[in-house]
Amino acid sequence: MKIAKFLLIIFCILNFNFQSLLADEEKMAKGLEIFNETAGCAACHALKAAGSDANIGPNLDTVSLTEELVKEMVTHGLGVMPAYGEGILTEEEIDIVSFYVANSAGK
Amino acid sequence: MKKIKKNINLKRRNFLAGTASIAGLAATASVIPINIANSNHSEGSKGLPEFISWKDRDALIVHSDKGIETHRSAIGESLITPNRNVYIRNNMPTMTDAQIGNRDNWKVSIQGVKNPKTFTLAQLKKLGHTTIATILQCSGNGRGFFEHKVRGSQWETGAAACVLWTGVPLMAVVDACGGIEKDAVFMTSAGVDHEPTGLDPKKAMVERSVPKKVYKDAMLAWEMNGVPLPNAHGGPLRMVTPGYFGINNVKHLGKVAFTTKESSVKYMKSSYRISPIGKKGSQYPSCWEMPVKSWITRPTDETGTVKAGKVQIVGVAMGGTRKVRSVKVSVDGGKSWKRAKFVGPDLGKYAWRQFVLETSLTSGTYNIASLASNGRAKQPELRMENRRGYAHNGWKDHSVNITVV
Repeated sequence: MKIAKFLLIIFCILNFNFQSLLADEEKMAKGLEIFNETAGCAACHALKAAGSDANIGPNLDTVSLTEELVKEMVTHGLGVMPAYGEGILTEEEIDIVSFYVANSAGK
Repeated sequence: MKKIKKNINLKRRNFLAGTASIAGLAATASVIPINIANSNHSEGSKGLPEFISWKDRDALIVHSDKGIETHRSAIGESLITPNRNVYIRNNMPTMTDAQIGNRDNWKVSIQGVKNPKTFTLAQLKKLGHTTIATILQCSGNGRGFFEHKVRGSQWETGAAACVLWTGVPLMAVVDACGGIEKDAVFMTSAGVDHEPTGLDPKKAMVERSVPKKVYKDAMLAWEMNGVPLPNAHGGPLRMVTPGYFGINNVKHLGKVAFTTKESSVKYMKSSYRISPIGKKGSQYPSCWEMPVKSWITRPTDETGTVKAGKVQIVGVAMGGTRKVRSVKVSVDGGKSWKRAKFVGPDLGKYAWRQFVLETSLTSGTYNIASLASNGRAKQPELRMENRRGYAHNGWKDHSVNITVV
């Protein structure tokens, strides 16, 4: 019985990690799509992970980024960069692309 | 031709659009091109973007490939900031030699004058010639000291430089065009560095209007500190607006117009406006005249601890659009002040002055501050809070802590 309980706990932990890993993988995949297509970030920004080497905005591989900072910039824009939070992307899309950029930059 | 990865196929995209729950990556690696040429902003071997690989890496702090700051200690060792140490702040990618072509054939049109004309750089060189020293300073220099969350490069002291420009006085160009139209109120300068990007000029063109009076001291510059104006600093031709923030010193200059209204592009209308935190809009003041300011450059904690005994406290001071008159230095965080001595040549009211205070310090920690005055205004203790962190000249944030052993 004890062994069964132990195995169940291990299964739950593994399953939880697997689920969260899967969720992250999904976010990365969708983030790449938003980056390259939906929002077209790749038209202005270099990001090796996305295969982009554009040079209008800062090279995202050479700046230190947090997810929160990316979200802020994407939502409100800066200089020539549009405010994607003003009707271009949904809040969920901004969350996903920010997660993607923060976890792809410099990799 | 630049290429981007497209790791997700169309079926997958439709699936993604329809549901939030999706399986893992089923990547089909295909490649689609985008018609925006990349040329010179790739990362170079020194950790600097390729387009400024000639700069001194040790003198610079890289915030991004379009925001590169000069270390506090790399500014004030001499009066003029060497080109290899001068900061970079680009809104558009620096134009390449190929995009610029023959520099002498570079064209600038002069409008809002009695006889509008287009001059080549070679023609400008025949109209007049002078050299002036001015301070080039980004509007956001000091942004890194603001405590609210401010977007943009977190500059501290090093988005500034004192530069010798050589070129033609704008007055001479205006005279060659028969003078300014009577109803003009602004001098509006536009760069052409947005053109290769193909972006909408209303959003991407760096066009800046300043009060018309600026033309009297302005120049069209083709040399910077004795060498042809580097592309990274706006070569082959740049507008120089003495006493005004860097953004008004338009790079890759293609047009100067005397206008009745301010430019309506984004960089004039909504960007570079000094607005309260949480508010924005074109009703707020634009980043035009620089305020009086100073900061310590040596000794600083970047060079390690300082030996007890005689110490030379060095810094730079600027008066904005007026001559800087005095600088006081404090070693106790502003409780007491001593007048510093200006040293080195006076290159005019638009250049900064170096100052020195010789003092003796015993072991301990010190907060060293400087406070400049231009006779009409002096630096405030605190920053003027604003949304984008512009025009910071408060002395307290710019002070440095040193340890004397």
